[in-house]
Amino acid sequence: MAKAVVELRGCTRDYGGVRAVDALDLGVHEGEFLSLLGPSGCGKTTTLNLIAGFVEPTAGCILVDGEDVTGRPAHLRGLGVVFQSYALFPHLSVFENVAFGLRERRVPGGEVARRVGDALELVRLDRRGGQRPSELSGGMQQRVALARALVYRPRVVLLDEPLAALDKKLREEMRSELREIQRSVGITTVFVTHDQTEALGLSDRIAVMSRGRIEQLGAPREIYDHPATRFVADFIGASTVLRGRAVAVDQLAVAGDASLRVASCRALRVGEEVELAIRPERVRLAPGPGDNVLDARIEGLVYQGAQTEVTARLGDGQRVLVFVTEPAPVPLAPGQTVHLHFPAAAFMLLA
Amino acid sequence: MKLLLAPAVVVLAVFAAALTALFRWSLLEFIPGSLQTGGLTLANFRGVLAPQYLDAIRDTVVLSALTTGLTLVLSYPVAYALASTPSRRVRSVLLVLTLAPFFTGAIVRTYAWVLVLGNTVVTWPLPMLFTERGVLVGLVHFSMPTMILILAAALSHIDPVYARAATSLGARPSRVFWRVTLPLSMPGIVSGCLIVFAWTLSAFPTPELLGGGKVKMIANVVKDLGLDSFNWPGAAAFAMLALVLTLTLLVGLGRLTGGRAA
Amino acid sequence: MTLRLVVAALVAFMTLPTVVVIAVSFNPTAILSFPPAGFSLRWYANVLGYPQFQRAALNSLVVTAAAVAVALPIGTLAALALERGRLRGRNLWAALLLSPLVVPGVAAGLGFLILAAALGLLRSRSVLIAAHVALVLPFVVRSVWVSVRNLDPALERAAASLGATPWRVFRRVTLPLLRPGLFAGLLFAIVVSVNEFVVSLFISNRVTEILPVAMFTYVVNYTDPSIAALSTLFIGATFLVVWLADRYLGLGRVFLQH
Repeated sequence: MAKAVVELRGCTRDYGGVRAVDALDLGVHEGEFLSLLGPSGCGKTTTLNLIAGFVEPTAGCILVDGEDVTGRPAHLRGLGVVFQSYALFPHLSVFENVAFGLRERRVPGGEVARRVGDALELVRLDRRGGQRPSELSGGMQQRVALARALVYRPRVVLLDEPLAALDKKLREEMRSELREIQRSVGITTVFVTHDQTEALGLSDRIAVMSRGRIEQLGAPREIYDHPATRFVADFIGASTVLRGRAVAVDQLAVAGDASLRVASCRALRVGEEVELAIRPERVRLAPGPGDNVLDARIEGLVYQGAQTEVTARLGDGQRVLVFVTEPAPVPLAPGQTVHLHFPAAAFMLLA
Repeated sequence: MKLLLAPAVVVLAVFAAALTALFRWSLLEFIPGSLQTGGLTLANFRGVLAPQYLDAIRDTVVLSALTTGLTLVLSYPVAYALASTPSRRVRSVLLVLTLAPFFTGAIVRTYAWVLVLGNTVVTWPLPMLFTERGVLVGLVHFSMPTMILILAAALSHIDPVYARAATSLGARPSRVFWRVTLPLSMPGIVSGCLIVFAWTLSAFPTPELLGGGKVKMIANVVKDLGLDSFNWPGAAAFAMLALVLTLTLLVGLGRLTGGRAA
Repeated sequence: MTLRLVVAALVAFMTLPTVVVIAVSFNPTAILSFPPAGFSLRWYANVLGYPQFQRAALNSLVVTAAAVAVALPIGTLAALALERGRLRGRNLWAALLLSPLVVPGVAAGLGFLILAAALGLLRSRSVLIAAHVALVLPFVVRSVWVSVRNLDPALERAAASLGATPWRVFRRVTLPLLRPGLFAGLLFAIVVSVNEFVVSLFISNRVTEILPVAMFTYVVNYTDPSIAALSTLFIGATFLVVWLADRYLGLGRVFLQH
């Protein structure tokens, strides 16, 4: 069992009548890159602030290396934070910005110079020490913010949507650079984002959050292939959710008299009402009726270049989303009836 | 569009006419005992440099400098509280108490100090009324609202994320203040000091009432010469001095702050 | 927290004189003492019945009303010109319009006195009013300018597109939206004019002098608490005005940013 560097136990945070974080339990393992992923208002930033100590929990406790730090003020927690707006001190040079944390720890001057130099080299800004933050581009400022947070080797580094202010191309560049730096330094990282592509690509584990709670915590692949709840299935990637009644341990009655075999989940209880999700890229166009094939009427088509997103309705009115790789095997038009194949192994049972 | 400015220009022209008259008379010869004047002369400006007047000038500068320094130190905590308090109520109270003196007028405020410094409330160990000490107290009190507002505006413009960043880097609250907040408020400090200094150089009611004739600042000399001795040219020379000093300081401030309207 | 104590002490320092004045105004005897030896309204009666104060109050009313009535429209037009006029050297114009704030009171006062004498207007109120207009104008311009800056021109264009003539647009859209700035400007103008002392000292005489000047003359010559009573009336009116302004205008918004 990996050691938990940061642990939240039953943490709740209320703002007036609003519960931003609800009895949250979370453990961050040594050296891992953990993302807190969710829509705005889900509590991910509040969770970060709780760990950092900017905000106190209304209930519950926070531990770092097994020690209860719940009452400890932020400046004594020994963590590193990278803010969304970078928050580089405008009145200090890049060098002094990075040196700030070291100076607070009374590190002697010569060593400060050496370590700041190393940190700036790590983020490839070693010749910019004398400049002011205002003279740097957004991407460079972000790297300085990272260097500043890492230079004093904190236990954990917390990143609050650090790439949100960058344009798309820069964001993708910084993403891989960020991951490389994190791996080479080996520091435990908590990363807050609303961008699932980012989370999927960077993380060792993802905590998908909604309304102050963790909906699911796991590795990216697991979250994508086996979403635990409807929210996760909807938020990560796209999905179709089908409702039906189990008629056998592995069979679902849906759309009236049609039935689907389900292979990837637990045994169903006969008569049970279940919800199953399936990724749109796993649904295929079939040449004709067959096993696990349902008829559907095309409602909408959105051409996307590499694929066309097809929205179709089953006999019982349930909507299905299908990604058809272009060029499509058959011509598609709204109003047309098509045969859709649902592979038994592609279904994900939702809680 | 320019037409819209025309009436304002008329008003400014009248004001400029008054200042021109002042300038012209500072160069005219004073004939004692009458309001007539002789020809052009620099005698008035030479008169400004006479020993008793030089004292007044020196006292004015020293007093203004002391006032500025003291006002800064006393105003900063109030400004900090005003800018950082989360409670709307506290902010309202502080704001009203800070702004109200502006609206009560110089005479009322100065008279209040006449009472307090004149041993009505407390018997002071040292004489306060009609001394430089008393005038200093009055001047500081007079300048505090201005300084507080300027400092509070500057402080409230500092993004709170900087304090958070400093805290996350390990700085305890007092260090956050010295290393981040104070330096970032420097433009406000410079602004406030220059404005208070410039204003205090021309202060009149405070030294007039609290100084009781014993403390003379530049403005008091202008009044003495102008309204008591009817030496308008001499008074004008002094007034020009005050004007030039003030303008120089404030133009300097304008340069420093990049021309933003204060 | 020590900060709270320090601030409380400083605020006490700032309000102490006010408290003393109010207390002394109720003193029954002419000898100033604090705490007051009793309670009496005689000084209020004295002040309200004193002919010179009555005349000065009337003068203040006339001068301030005239100055504000003139300065408000002029300042509003100037603010509009500054913001919308696309003037070359706009910053210079702004500096000029605000310049009376910068000139020392004694310089302006003496200058106006000399000017008045040269024009033979020493006995009239017109120079006094003109000076007040000049001194009050910067405050009006500044206050209205803030409102103009926040006024989205798209609103006026929308009104025009709906068929309103320029005058109607001004009356039905522009002016109402400028109301906060106008109100603030009005407030500042009145307060500055009513309290104006130094310049008025130079250019008024016993007949034309406004209230602060009359008070000054009284203080220099007499030591009874009459001025305390008058000051208390001033303070009361001021607090009321400032409190109302904060309540309805949100003064905090004018000076601070959140």
